[in-house]
Amino acid sequence: MAGLTLEHVGKRYPNGYEGVKDFNLEIADKEFIIFVGPSGCGKSTTLRMIAGLEDITSGTLKIDGRVVNDVEPKDRDIAMVFQNYALYPHMTVYENMAFPLRLRKVPQGQIDKIVQDAARILDLEKLLDRKPSALSGGQRQRVAMGRAIARQPKVFLMDEPLSNLDAKLRVQMRAEISKLHDRLGATIIYVTHDQTEAMTLGTRIVVMKDGVMQQVDTPSKLYAEPCNLFVAGFIGSPQMNFIDATVGESAGKVTLTFGANTITVPEAKASALKPYVGKAVIAGIRPEDVVEAHEYAEGRNLSEKIDATVTVYELLGSEAMIYGDVDGGQISAHLSAANPVRTGSRIEVAFDVDKLHVFDKDTELAIVH
Amino acid sequence: MASLSKSKIGSGRMKTFYAILIPVLVLFVAFNTFPLLTGVFYSFTNSKGYGAFDIVGLQNYLDLFSDARVGNSYLFTFKVAVVATILTNVISLLLAIALSSKIKFKSALRGLFFVPQILGALVVGYVFSYLFTWIIPALTGTESILASPDLAWIAIVVVLVWQSCAQTTIIYITGLSSVPEDVYEAGALDGATGWNKFRYITLPLIMPSVTTNMVLVMKNMLMVFDQIVAMTSGGPSQSTESISYLIYNNGLSGGQFGFQCANAVMFFILIAVISIVQTNFLSSKEEQL
Repeated sequence: MAGLTLEHVGKRYPNGYEGVKDFNLEIADKEFIIFVGPSGCGKSTTLRMIAGLEDITSGTLKIDGRVVNDVEPKDRDIAMVFQNYALYPHMTVYENMAFPLRLRKVPQGQIDKIVQDAARILDLEKLLDRKPSALSGGQRQRVAMGRAIARQPKVFLMDEPLSNLDAKLRVQMRAEISKLHDRLGATIIYVTHDQTEAMTLGTRIVVMKDGVMQQVDTPSKLYAEPCNLFVAGFIGSPQMNFIDATVGESAGKVTLTFGANTITVPEAKASALKPYVGKAVIAGIRPEDVVEAHEYAEGRNLSEKIDATVTVYELLGSEAMIYGDVDGGQISAHLSAANPVRTGSRIEVAFDVDKLHVFDKDTELAIVH
Repeated sequence: MASLSKSKIGSGRMKTFYAILIPVLVLFVAFNTFPLLTGVFYSFTNSKGYGAFDIVGLQNYLDLFSDARVGNSYLFTFKVAVVATILTNVISLLLAIALSSKIKFKSALRGLFFVPQILGALVVGYVFSYLFTWIIPALTGTESILASPDLAWIAIVVVLVWQSCAQTTIIYITGLSSVPEDVYEAGALDGATGWNKFRYITLPLIMPSVTTNMVLVMKNMLMVFDQIVAMTSGGPSQSTESISYLIYNNGLSGGQFGFQCANAVMFFILIAVISIVQTNFLSSKEEQL
């Protein structure tokens, strides 16, 4: 296994379009790195540049300290799992996994052992004689995984490997990939547009947008302290509430005003907001940090009360979501399923101000978390 | 009620289908099946193509095996067909790979390589006849190979290959485009590049196209006719007499109508058997994508 270094890596297409801009990242050995972002953000392009399937037009890529910009894909010692699996349709499961080893002239006895081991890890032993056309989507996905494992590469690359599976299988495979990472101690770079996959799998997440890296951090840090409006909105489901507000100051306390509502910002966050007094900002609060009156609890630093009207109520089983109007904006909130609030209810909510985020309206950068 | 109205709609549709089908069927029977059966009938006679004739039973078929000219035409035809089929497929596959790669003027080049397909076989034959008779001897200072009983077949092969590569290449291009790009990419990471890529990925995945091309080209080559007419008329000294040419020439103007009908029937059976065997053998090598 190995580490990777990307220094000022960029991709400019012949037509002048920049797919990836100035990408810098140090990936340590055994890390599980996720590239996440909406379609067209450059995450797959970056992965394919690491694989060698796309040329790097600027910057340097190092694997284990060796510059590999101009090294053939096969000589980079990496394995890739593709979104459509890319299995060899004319080979059996066994042959699919053995093929890369055969090309590397590994002795047959050793190939047999490696393939059997990989098949055991992925529960493919009974399918070894089948062709891909006789397998289900989930099984094909596992074979693709097996082929990568059998290679015993320095780095695993995975390009949206779960996107073609149904929801239930996706959750199951997610857990298996996580286990696999622990078991193999492998360096994995994983591309997805699904922020749940990103949050559950990654040791670190790279959020990208329009070819530009937005933030690199651990899942919990990314969730708690998004660096800008895009990351705040992209990570977390349902997404963070954003409310246009104006910063004010009264009686030495910093406040945020939207519509007829004014909430007081706690001391710890106030100093960062002082320069913004009188200016418009964007306040962000996650749905679970919007507390409905029935669920006020000790230990939470709640804001002033805000009146709201529920427009949509969604029961999710153990919990429920509400979407509602407040003066000056709209909010969504998590409720317990036992909460009597329904569509049309006029309710009172409060924000957990310790979890309040404030963003600069012009630069969209976070002012305070 | 529902089922009644459904069957009414059904019968209306059937009428349309029959209206399309029957005229074609009548024409097919009149101009294809009927002549075929007539031909089979004449193969049991000593007809010269005109006048009175007697039924001779299987005599024509027995004579086919002892007639040296018929034997030579079979040898010549199979030699040309096998060599030309192999050359056509190898060259077409190489062309198709080149025309499927990222090259400039790809569409224009594909169009250019398709031109032989739209030219008539006779036209091509006469052009090459001129080439082999005058231009190549003038350039090399040698005698025309069309004048040599030992070499004239090579000229026929050249023309056949040149012309049939067009369609064969198009079929290979289609086959190549059906191989998913990510399978090649997986191969590139696994180490399948260059010859290995072709041997282990491309070729197995385009086997359906190989089957189609082998069968079609082999069949066309066995029936070679126009090019012979245009280039050698079967000569020199009957060295380039193909089976079709012999059937046509001796059957219609050589007074061997019944005998050549028997030849035609045998040839028909032979081509059918070869095509079936080829298809079965090659499809066993095909893969479900």
